[in-house]
Amino acid sequence: MMAERRSSLLEPAYVLHRRAYRESSAIAELFTAEHGRLGVVARGVRSSRSRWRALLQPFTPLSVSWQARGDLGTLTDVELQWRSTLPTGRRLVSGFYLNELLLRVLQREDPYPELFQCYAGAVLMLASRGAEQPLLRCFERDLLAAMGYGLLLSHDADGSPIEPQRWYRYEIDKGAVPVTAPRGRLVVQGATLSALASGVFPNAGVEVQARQLMRAALRPHVGERPLKSRELYAQYLGAKSQPQPRGDG
Amino acid sequence: MAEFSPLVSELIEALRCLPGVGPKSAQRMAFHILQRDREGGMRLARVLAEAVAKVGECRYCRILTEQALCTICSSGKRDRSTLCIVENPADVYALDQATDYSGLYFVLKGRLSPLDGIGPAELGLDCLEKRFCEGEIREIVLATNSTVEGEATAQFIAEMAYNNAIHVSRIAYGVPVGGELEYVDSGTLSHAFAGRREYR
Repeated sequence: MMAERRSSLLEPAYVLHRRAYRESSAIAELFTAEHGRLGVVARGVRSSRSRWRALLQPFTPLSVSWQARGDLGTLTDVELQWRSTLPTGRRLVSGFYLNELLLRVLQREDPYPELFQCYAGAVLMLASRGAEQPLLRCFERDLLAAMGYGLLLSHDADGSPIEPQRWYRYEIDKGAVPVTAPRGRLVVQGATLSALASGVFPNAGVEVQARQLMRAALRPHVGERPLKSRELYAQYLGAKSQPQPRGDG
Repeated sequence: MAEFSPLVSELIEALRCLPGVGPKSAQRMAFHILQRDREGGMRLARVLAEAVAKVGECRYCRILTEQALCTICSSGKRDRSTLCIVENPADVYALDQATDYSGLYFVLKGRLSPLDGIGPAELGLDCLEKRFCEGEIREIVLATNSTVEGEATAQFIAEMAYNNAIHVSRIAYGVPVGGELEYVDSGTLSHAFAGRREYR
């Protein structure tokens, strides 16, 4: 069977990852606005004369033209959408984390136009001064929702509204189940669920609970293999000799 | 098409492990050695076997060498308080030829790239940190590549150096010598502009 020919003209995209291919080319995994994740060959991009060399980097807002017949496409044009700054330090590692998540969970050429907007927003926030943890949690929430596994955050499993002071055990396939005491795995306060829904995290305790909950919710999709960027992030905290809040997830 | 004898085709196949050598060039190389330069071929075989067996890396800087310490690290003329950090052994030779830098080097043999599974341990950063703690190094020059991963690496190492009160600098981005602004890509140009220096 002949594979169908696809192409796209100056579509917004980000590079999630690129690796060397042959002498001077590269294979880039893109996240595109209309076609989702996409693998493309960028011919000659590693040669010193390439115009795309500086552009085809992660976290740079691009417009790309490409065509594809088989599994991998070919990049035919790359332009800068707007001039952006790179996140620095740990925030850059958080950026790698977003990319690693997307590469783990997204299949090639499954379109996620709304998630693309969330990603673009998250990258922009990482490069600016927006609080880091809330934006990561919101991206994880939006990622799960886009895949059709969104968490139920406004009501408990029986349909009653979430109360901020109450404790709930979050069961991934059922939702929040009220419990009397904060004991056992994935028991979170109602305030944590509301924070995840609104994106406003009132304190560090809520942030830690939210991180553990999202980690557990993502695990079935991400797999058991540890995320390397998560390890690097932890080591970054170590290098800065700051106390490292540990999640059990 | 006629087939090569088993040994000739094995030689051609073996030569293809070299970068940039496809079937056609491998065949040309094999024929050249067998027809015109058997002596050169013998020498290549001898040196190749010896180098692969003996060359390891320098204990200090991880440059390729068959000695315990490379010529740069064992030299008495080098400034031992300055350390230049590069991604690849080739970068050491490039920098040493192009600049009058007289300190020592440290070769990472890669860059932090979580998506490729490369973290601090793979780059020998524990070794590097140990050297930072020893106190001999007072300044580091970060000469990792100007890619997102190179930048992530530079920032991670800079953080380690700050903790040890070591002075940190990063090589400049800029317009290539002999380059015309019109043809320089916008990323390089914006870095060059942002990093402009006082001029007298």
